Amino acid sequence: MTEVAVLGVGMHPFGKFEGKSVGDLCRTAVVAALADAGISWREIEAVAAASSRFSGGKGWGLNGNDVVEDMGSTGVPVYNLSAGCSAGGNALNVGYTLVASGLHDVVLVVGGEKMPKGFIQTSGVEEKTDPEFLRQRCIGVSGPAFWGMLCRRRMEDYGTSEEHLAKIAVKAHANSVHNPYARFRKPFTLEEVLKSPMVCFPLRLYEICPVSDGAAAAILCSARFARRKTSKPVWVASSTVATARFDDGVTRHLAAVSPKGRTMHSEAKIAVEKAFERAGLGPRDLNLVELQDNTVYYELAFPEEWGLCSEGEAERLVEKGETVPTGKLPINPSGGFQSFGEATTAMGVFQVAELTWQLRGEAGGRQVPHARVGLGQTIGLGGNATAVVLKS
Amino acid sequence: MSQRIPVIEGLFAERSDGPRLIGSRCTTCATPYFPKSPVCHNPGCDQSKMEDAAFGPTGVLFSFAVQNYPPPPPAKYDEPYRPYAVGMVDLPEGLRVLGRIATDDFSQLRGGLPVHLIVDRMYHDSEGNEVVTWQFRPAPVLAQADDRRMKP
Ligand SMILES: [Zn+2]
Repeated sequence: MTEVAVLGVGMHPFGKFEGKSVGDLCRTAVVAALADAGISWREIEAVAAASSRFSGGKGWGLNGNDVVEDMGSTGVPVYNLSAGCSAGGNALNVGYTLVASGLHDVVLVVGGEKMPKGFIQTSGVEEKTDPEFLRQRCIGVSGPAFWGMLCRRRMEDYGTSEEHLAKIAVKAHANSVHNPYARFRKPFTLEEVLKSPMVCFPLRLYEICPVSDGAAAAILCSARFARRKTSKPVWVASSTVATARFDDGVTRHLAAVSPKGRTMHSEAKIAVEKAFERAGLGPRDLNLVELQDNTVYYELAFPEEWGLCSEGEAERLVEKGETVPTGKLPINPSGGFQSFGEATTAMGVFQVAELTWQLRGEAGGRQVPHARVGLGQTIGLGGNATAVVLKS
Repeated sequence: MSQRIPVIEGLFAERSDGPRLIGSRCTTCATPYFPKSPVCHNPGCDQSKMEDAAFGPTGVLFSFAVQNYPPPPPAKYDEPYRPYAVGMVDLPEGLRVLGRIATDDFSQLRGGLPVHLIVDRMYHDSEGNEVVTWQFRPAPVLAQADDRRMKP
């Protein structure tokens, strides 16, 4: 295996862009990543792209092909990866694997999305065999209601208060003020969050992420190539993909087997633990985490489930402000999905961009001091998850 | 004439001894499935042998949430929209089932609450038919009170 570096990253700011196509967003991100890497488009040997469900890709998720045609068709291989909201992480993993295997020296990873207005319609088909369709039609349990159920149980088990939840949102927006790519760059008070409308009790509007348009790109390359271009590369210590275990108690269909242990997203836990193992690093080595905070609840559950803190400790970390960029366990210094909104398939690449800036010390007002090791994590429909560990 | 029709055929039955969820069970490893599954998905099971099974009518609420805002399609509801509770219910058969929690008093809901299976109205279709689905009603005190109120 060859060591893999992140040579360059780029993003299109997140928001709602009526006059732009997903191709426009991706082009901006790719051009920025190429410039950051100091290379030309013609040097890209392969492309791994997240397949969008909502935009472009000729309706087939061929978003990587769109990017190649747009940038100039050079005959390179294109891999389009579909994994729900985890697709960006999957694309990153394939790009990483193409370089690590020695097959290619320089690979582009890209994810972009133009999202429809309103809450995500999770099911794309009206078929009796589609579990997501059945959940929506027979019960009417939206994505936020699903998160709400998990969150509500935590409140009973660990005494999580509405203030704990709101405080996480306040932290996210305090970080976003310093991020020029974030959609919402305004600080919120605890009171403002607690007064925001209840979407799915116990979760309020400012405690779940909206949908956004956005794109992110990363240039991965071999150690040999990286040393020619920079004296301080950021390294991919590991990149993993996982799917859920059969008996984790998370009801992804109409029903699940009652779990023997704690109910949790096993796919994310497997991906993160494998990422630590392959990197030869552990929770103690981490300086920051970019995790998928579709809801503030995940900032409490995930760190515990992955062993970043002990069981029931997450609320104490929030109370003490330990998850801010200058705390013991900085979580989502970017502002997270709460501040960006989710451009679903771009998020795995967005996290790599933020981690790279952090590890280079280029994150400005949201900089985690002395950041050397960072973890990124995505989770998506179908029981998909990815993790990546970057180190300087 | 308007009728009472199931939201999707084949997911539940209203029997003389009460409603049941229609699923299956693997006779090799005893794993229960809802809805019916043609094969056993348990990776630890050596031989998939499926038989039909009915689940319910009792369970215990694991957790719940309230759908305060109208859900996006393909969910359907009658206007004006009224918030409802949804929950994860653990059945003694070893199955955790999603369903609506049939109560307007959300404040009484908590993990560990006994519930029982009912079949009740969800929305009306374009022909005015009453579309029904499986739901879980907190048992037993409130359930009895609700039953009385529901009688014509
Ligand atoms: Zn079996």
